[in-house]
Amino acid sequence: MDTEKALQLAESRLKEFAVSMNRPEENRLDVVIDRKELKAAVSALLAEKQWGYLAAITGLDNAAWKVDEATKEKSLDPSGGSLEVLYHFCEGAAVATLRVSLPYNDAKVDTVCDLISSVSLYEREAAELFGIEFVDTPNTDRLVLPDSWPEGVYPLRKSFTGFEKNAKG
Amino acid sequence: MECNPAPEKFIVPIGPQHPALKEPGHFEFTVEGEVVTNATARLGFVHRGMEKGAEDRTWIQDLYLMERVCGICSHVHAMAFSLGVEKLAGVQAPPRAQAIRELVAELERIHSHMLWLGVAAHEGGFDTLFMLSWRDRETVMSLLETISGNRVNYSANVLGGVKIDISDKQADEIRKGMDFLEERSKHYLKVVTEDETFLGRTRNIGMMNKKQAELLGAIGPTGRASGVKRDVRVDSPYAGYTDFPVKMITNDAGDLEARFVVRIEELFESYRIIRELLDKMPKGELTVKVPRRIPEGEVISRVEAPRGELLYFMKSNGTDKPERIKVRTPSLCNWGSVLVTAIGHNLADMPMILAGIDPCFSCNDRIVTVNRKTDSTRMDWEDLRQYGIEYYK
Repeated sequence: MDTEKALQLAESRLKEFAVSMNRPEENRLDVVIDRKELKAAVSALLAEKQWGYLAAITGLDNAAWKVDEATKEKSLDPSGGSLEVLYHFCEGAAVATLRVSLPYNDAKVDTVCDLISSVSLYEREAAELFGIEFVDTPNTDRLVLPDSWPEGVYPLRKSFTGFEKNAKG
Repeated sequence: MECNPAPEKFIVPIGPQHPALKEPGHFEFTVEGEVVTNATARLGFVHRGMEKGAEDRTWIQDLYLMERVCGICSHVHAMAFSLGVEKLAGVQAPPRAQAIRELVAELERIHSHMLWLGVAAHEGGFDTLFMLSWRDRETVMSLLETISGNRVNYSANVLGGVKIDISDKQADEIRKGMDFLEERSKHYLKVVTEDETFLGRTRNIGMMNKKQAELLGAIGPTGRASGVKRDVRVDSPYAGYTDFPVKMITNDAGDLEARFVVRIEELFESYRIIRELLDKMPKGELTVKVPRRIPEGEVISRVEAPRGELLYFMKSNGTDKPERIKVRTPSLCNWGSVLVTAIGHNLADMPMILAGIDPCFSCNDRIVTVNRKTDSTRMDWEDLRQYGIEYYK
């Protein structure tokens, strides 16, 4: 299947779930969906003749920044920003990405483990590093962070800038 | 002593030290008698926080950081990163640079597959094959050192091209090396498909059919040995692969033997393409200029590492430092397949099945905690750096 045809097929399967769609690169399709639609959208891609395979889940922290007028220093603006989970599906050279936005105070999204069993490791990685809760994911054990890592500290969030020196050990 | 007639279940922990490979990973195999009935993994023992570290460094510094994600396939990481940055910046490396990238990538594949052949043979109790294949691997290691000055982190890439060129003398050395390795590989192919004792450890062991492999997301040689026709070099050619295409090697058998055969046949394809590259190397510049500040945007860069598809997701915020670098290495995809195929096999087959996917731990683990009985210290990057400086004073 050539890349353009593959992308058109993905577009037609995902149309009904999309909040918005765009083509950031020639071989890529980005589809923004509501988190409630995630499972339905993934099922639509995998239905009948399966479209590609889930190559990766990327967590993103789209933090909001504010700049202090006087000092010109940049700091986090806790009132804005959100987390985002990206599901990258690849079919040949074509990449379709489902983008789900999640608020910091309710970072929950349904697991897709029941549809694709191999994503457990990807979900665990994103859960640990970004503090995203994958509802009903079968395994929530620590995967990559050390056993002594404190609960509720998510290293890949922009708000994490390292431990205080005196809090060590 | 009381005898319990109910079937006993034991959990056998393997690792974190030395689970098949000399790298850390912890596995728990539940066994009933000799047969494995469940398997779980705990990774992260060499997690180094590189994705976070990348956000604190400039794009140029990150090139060197990313090259160090993996010590076996260092070049593919630097290449995936450079290709992504070039796409974001809207530039394209010159054809000669792209061809050299492919050349180094294929040399790296040879060294990686031969390393694996040795390790897997060792796990199967066949140390003669281990020693011979590692001896021969030195040929390609020396070639890499000849062209780049380094055996491991060749550092061939720069943003916008490559920093090494191939002279006629080096090309001849590489050709000679390929001739030698091709002869040796023919011998190894014969050994792994004909040696009775070795076949006893590999034929029909660790079976994974195409359907399972696709369901479990197996990629690279592990998937291709189960008939999954996926190879980024063919599906989505990058760097020199558009002008110098390679053939995809697959096998439908799906057992450990097939994983040996696929990797060795890939070696022949690498020898062929390396010769072609040397004969038809495009002339011209090695680099183009890449701006220090990379324009805002997101890009996905996929390359075929020796172990399978390597995916980089990169987001730029318009400054000289990236907003986010996400690395999905092939080993992470293949772990799932091990944990499922392990079930039903004898415990004694576990080292071979683990080694069968050619796992790379550093790849998927990217803080150091020193735990002693009396005190426990967490060392961050600054502390480690200071420690290093003090140590080598």
